[in-house]
Amino acid sequence: MLRIEGVSKSFSTDARITDTLENIDLTVVKGEFVSLVGPSGCGKSTLLNIIAGLEKTSSGKILKKEAEITEAGPDRVMMFQEAALFPWLKVIDNVEYGMKMAGVPKRERREKAMYYLKMVHLTQSASSYPHELSGGMRQRVALARALATDTDILLMDEPFAALDSQTRNILHVELQHIWEATKKTIIFVTHNVEEAVLLADRVLVMSVNPGTIKKEFKVGLARPRDIENPELTVVVNKIIRELKEEVQKVAKAEFDSDWSIRKGSAIPTPT
Amino acid sequence: MVFRSNIWPEYLFPSPLGVLQNLDSGFRDGSLFIAIGISIKRVLTGYMISLTAGLTLGLLIIRFSYLDETLSPLLLGFQTLPSICWLPLAILWFGIGEDSIIFVIAIGSIFSISIATLSGIKNVPPIYMRVAKTMGAKGLKAYTTVVIPAALPAIISGMKQGWSFAWRALMAGELLSPKDGLGYALTIGRDLHDMNQVVGVMIIIIFIGLVVDNLIFGKLEYSIRYRWGLTQT
Repeated sequence: MLRIEGVSKSFSTDARITDTLENIDLTVVKGEFVSLVGPSGCGKSTLLNIIAGLEKTSSGKILKKEAEITEAGPDRVMMFQEAALFPWLKVIDNVEYGMKMAGVPKRERREKAMYYLKMVHLTQSASSYPHELSGGMRQRVALARALATDTDILLMDEPFAALDSQTRNILHVELQHIWEATKKTIIFVTHNVEEAVLLADRVLVMSVNPGTIKKEFKVGLARPRDIENPELTVVVNKIIRELKEEVQKVAKAEFDSDWSIRKGSAIPTPT
Repeated sequence: MVFRSNIWPEYLFPSPLGVLQNLDSGFRDGSLFIAIGISIKRVLTGYMISLTAGLTLGLLIIRFSYLDETLSPLLLGFQTLPSICWLPLAILWFGIGEDSIIFVIAIGSIFSISIATLSGIKNVPPIYMRVAKTMGAKGLKAYTTVVIPAALPAIISGMKQGWSFAWRALMAGELLSPKDGLGYALTIGRDLHDMNQVVGVMIIIIFIGLVVDNLIFGKLEYSIRYRWGLTQT
């Protein structure tokens, strides 16, 4: 179980201090699949980095099984938008990397790496180098690499955002299966609401300025889920409505004051 | 053709045939082999020293940020200094002879190697380090398994550049404080007005430089860049 207690994070530049996260409370139970959605700049990736231990909080703490998290560790492996495989290692060695760091003996390492490569259907590419693989294949390897560390929490930061939609759809189906088979806790950050609803037990909508959890949606649909399920679309639309307000808020802050979502980008007449 | 036009007398511009004959006799009596051997031995010694020192220096500077702030501009300054400018200093420190030549070779290539190491490591994409951390790699382990491999293509390029600096420094050193070696063969050629020998030795110098550059470092660089996925296919 993971508990986030009153976590805030502010960044200070020379000019001013910006609060990206403000007083976030969240509990994620073991084996749960939680998605975070929100407009860009709401701090959802920052929150994930903090859980991973890659960034520090300004205040508040994160407890995992009642122990406070202070640094990055292989019990909370993170996956990024880019696969970020090590190009100098073969696919199989990439998958073994975490185990190697943990000091797992060579034979056991190889066996487990093959097991997880099989799970993502890439045993044939075990001795290829990452640059020989397609984007989707690389992201599969990254998933296998993350799973192979025996992590109990998997943090995913828009892992499929850079893939084409066909590849993404296939990976959505597979991730559901893998999640069911491995019973990992997954925290999944995305800006794609459909993706969030398709995958998660719970979708958290984040607001911007301050970055807080605005609303929580429980998705009680049966699994495996299909993106074309009309019930799913109902939930998606509800969330999109909730998000619209936040997106507008961001746009208002970024664009000129005459902007509004109804007019679109009004074109001023030249004077 | 230039030779045929008879603009310059033969003792200033040699005939290709004369050069070939000179090379042939030089290789036959073994004197050129000896000269090449001595020069290669020197450059290898000097290069090994600069490789060790250059890599260590680069890694040390990365490790301690105050070294980076103080030494980096200095390194860049030293790198622009032609290696021959070290020769007077070397002669005063080590005397005329082997040691000062090796010093000039080492000092001539050390800076390009450490600068390449430095910038190679600084340009490692931060995402690799984040991955390593989240996978549980820490400290020295993360350094040897991620940072150094990721910087390797840049370091190899620096080594290649360092080699050509070392080769040039060797010639400069041998020209000015000679007993033997290829640079000395050049000086002798000049003293004897034997243009055939001068040009012959120049050809050998170019040849060796090219062979090492292309065949050894070129291949190494290519295979590493290929493996790292940095080449277009």
